[in-house]
Amino acid sequence: MARSVTINPPKMCQPMGAILAYMGVHGCVPLVHGSQGCSTYPRYNIARHFRESAEVAVSSLAEDAAVYGGAKNLTEAIKNIKSRLNPVAIGICTTCMSETIGDDVKLIAKKALADDTMKIFPASTPSYVGTHLTGYDNALRTLVETLAVKGEPNNKVNIITGIINPGDIRELKNMLRLMNVQSIFLSDISETLDTPILPGGHKPMLPDGGTKIADIADSANSLGTIAICRTAGSAAVYLKNKFNVPAVLDPAPIGVANTDRFVQNISRLSKAPIPNEIVIERGRLIDSMVDVHHYMFGRKVAIFGDPDLVSAIVRFCAEAGMNPTVAMTATKHKDFAPDIKAVNGEYKADTQILEGTDLYEFHEVVKTHGAELILGNSKGKDIADDEGVPLVRFGFPVYDRVGVYRYSIMGYNGSIYLLDQMTNAILGHKYDPNKLHQ
Amino acid sequence: MTTILPECDIPIPQRRPHIVCHEPGNIILPMCNIQTVPGDMTERGCTFAGCRGVVGGPVKDVIQLVHGPIGCAYYTWGTRRNLSDVKLHRKYCFSTDLTEESVIYGGAKKLLKSIIEAHELFPEAKAVFVYSTCVVGLIGDDTEAICKQAQEKIGIPVVPFHCEGFRGVSQSLGHHIANRTLFEKVVGTKEPETTTPYDMCIIGEFNIDGDAWIVKPLFERMGVRVLSVFTGNASYADLPPMHRAKLNIVQCQRSSTYIAKMIQDKYNIPYINVSLFGMKQTAEALRDVGKFFHLEENADKVIAEELAKYQKNIDYYRKRLEGKKCFIYQGAPRAWHWIEPMRELGIETILTATTFGHKDDYEKIMSKAKPGHICIDNPNALEIEEYLVKLRPDFFIGGLKEKYLTYKLGIPFINGHSYEEGPYAGFEGFVNFARDIDVAVNSPVWKFINKPLEVS
Repeated sequence: MARSVTINPPKMCQPMGAILAYMGVHGCVPLVHGSQGCSTYPRYNIARHFRESAEVAVSSLAEDAAVYGGAKNLTEAIKNIKSRLNPVAIGICTTCMSETIGDDVKLIAKKALADDTMKIFPASTPSYVGTHLTGYDNALRTLVETLAVKGEPNNKVNIITGIINPGDIRELKNMLRLMNVQSIFLSDISETLDTPILPGGHKPMLPDGGTKIADIADSANSLGTIAICRTAGSAAVYLKNKFNVPAVLDPAPIGVANTDRFVQNISRLSKAPIPNEIVIERGRLIDSMVDVHHYMFGRKVAIFGDPDLVSAIVRFCAEAGMNPTVAMTATKHKDFAPDIKAVNGEYKADTQILEGTDLYEFHEVVKTHGAELILGNSKGKDIADDEGVPLVRFGFPVYDRVGVYRYSIMGYNGSIYLLDQMTNAILGHKYDPNKLHQ
Repeated sequence: MTTILPECDIPIPQRRPHIVCHEPGNIILPMCNIQTVPGDMTERGCTFAGCRGVVGGPVKDVIQLVHGPIGCAYYTWGTRRNLSDVKLHRKYCFSTDLTEESVIYGGAKKLLKSIIEAHELFPEAKAVFVYSTCVVGLIGDDTEAICKQAQEKIGIPVVPFHCEGFRGVSQSLGHHIANRTLFEKVVGTKEPETTTPYDMCIIGEFNIDGDAWIVKPLFERMGVRVLSVFTGNASYADLPPMHRAKLNIVQCQRSSTYIAKMIQDKYNIPYINVSLFGMKQTAEALRDVGKFFHLEENADKVIAEELAKYQKNIDYYRKRLEGKKCFIYQGAPRAWHWIEPMRELGIETILTATTFGHKDDYEKIMSKAKPGHICIDNPNALEIEEYLVKLRPDFFIGGLKEKYLTYKLGIPFINGHSYEEGPYAGFEGFVNFARDIDVAVNSPVWKFINKPLEVS
């Protein structure tokens, strides 16, 4: 992007990602060290995507902190959270404010705790560096760096999910269950951000679920780490360098080839055979692709979102015979362009690669290259409206449709669901319903 | 004693003066407008949120450029449902997207370039509003000078707002900054093409879900000319001639009384406080305005027409809602704006809370409250939960962040910040409001909450 001004960015700031990573840890309270907006805005966005209350504490920095530093506020914040909630842990993320005034969060946090009964994870997440994805990565690496310790081999596989939906995590767990492989999810929001209403109307302030501290500690003893989001892979690299835990950084398991890779990786690390149930699920995905190929072949599709998800979805669209015209991500990542180029080579496609740019430019390129379908989050609504094409929503945030967080687009089952959504959008938009009876 | 310390605050006794129970003859106001206790799961936003998100943001035909890292711009992109009839508004999010380099070397050049580029891409914009975020204040970009330079270059007004998030105690200071900036830099810079003896501005109306589209015609039908709405669905051109109104009425008296006062002081234009929620209060507002302009008969006529149209709907909902109890938790004024409308529906408000209320907001709440009514300043998630569980209201009016907590507890909820099926203002809007309460309260889903799964 040659412009200085950013117009309609599909990216958020680091604290958002860090908060999501901390929300996947059992008994962990996220604490934003910054101005009040720095917690309120992420909370608002998390609440409207997951349709779930998202409690985040804040050190409420004000003018005096700009002059004297934020140590007083952070110390008081930690003490107050501890005395009120006595959580297992506090996950601190820094902001523009606290980083610019130069607070030594680690030192302040250490001094604030008289004893060692509560864990503190201080991640450096100023908003002027990176995006929500690097924020997630920083917080996750902080968790692993703080906790992981060498012990007995546990025969488990670590899975780093990145920012995906509770439905996706449940689907991945289901696949691992079918393969009879035990796992540690780093981290796991599948229950903390998708909690049930239980009889009596009770809501614990710290929800059940989330990855246990002991399991994060145990991640040093696993058979290997599979990061299905390479933007969140630095914890895997840390475990490899420090504890010799093999690290596999791979595309998200969406579509046939990428899900195959996921299954093969699990099987290779755990020595578990691929069970027939998984083969059947794979067969159903291919069956579903056969069923719809004549509706989807050659259809132009433009895709935007977080790089790992976009590159996996581009490949899946190509597998389904579609024509991915534009692949866009606001967050630069070294693997993104090679991923798309590989798909272009294999499928004789000509997908335009847009990296580190905004939706204004995405829209301009979509106008030139065409799209009959757009895939992206809710921020793509206006572009889809302007182009008169449907938008199938995936990623974060999706707030103008219900249930998107609940379903999976990953694994063979999730891919079927995604393909069905895409096909139905095309059918609803392009085909005369009277001719679709058979 | 009229202050209370809830159980969750036992370790935080400094919260005690913020929570009071109404006791006749011994009225104490909750302590307010001071810093949040660090570590609270506060519902408060920042000064930037008040300035860009509430007051400046609804101006529809300007480039709303956020000078800072990406998050601040992203999170104010189309979140509050200030509707407008201009494409530029809500659809576009402009940011200088500052990175580390700007933090080290300054963001001035990037800001100047961004303003010029945005203007080139959107020549239809009538002005550029530039909002400074935390980091800009800390690194010390001279945004005044840059905006001045940019204005000379592009030939349309470029208005800087110094609304760094860390300033002040809540978003309330941001409202004040937006008011003062628009008053000092915009109001009075142009004369209206024509004036009439019946010119009025509606101040503190942000067109949430179309509120302004409901209330503006009520006054117009009386024969009043609405010179501008500050700032719901406002064009930039509506703002400069505000100093030629004959009267201002102020709806959101927390976020916008500032500008009404400044206009009164400088231009000698009186203002009156109104509430445009509920049948009685809206009628009263029309009568007050009618009295000022000597249009009493017109006001009575409009009121009679509206009541003839909508009173039967309200009577219907009153029958369905009579005897219910509610919590109201709003930014500030709607907390007291809605106590009286609730009574019109036969509903008693048993707890009122505000995020950033000042003394005058709490005085108004207390003047409307009954014995036993609880009032909380700047509540946190734990306090809200504790009182929801203890008092179990029939429904709760709050914002999105509290919505799902409330649902988990099995309590119906209304989104009073951004609505969902509004507008809620005026006579017609009050019917929507009553309908939404009915939908929330009388939905059959709630009966499942306390019905465990049992083996028969």
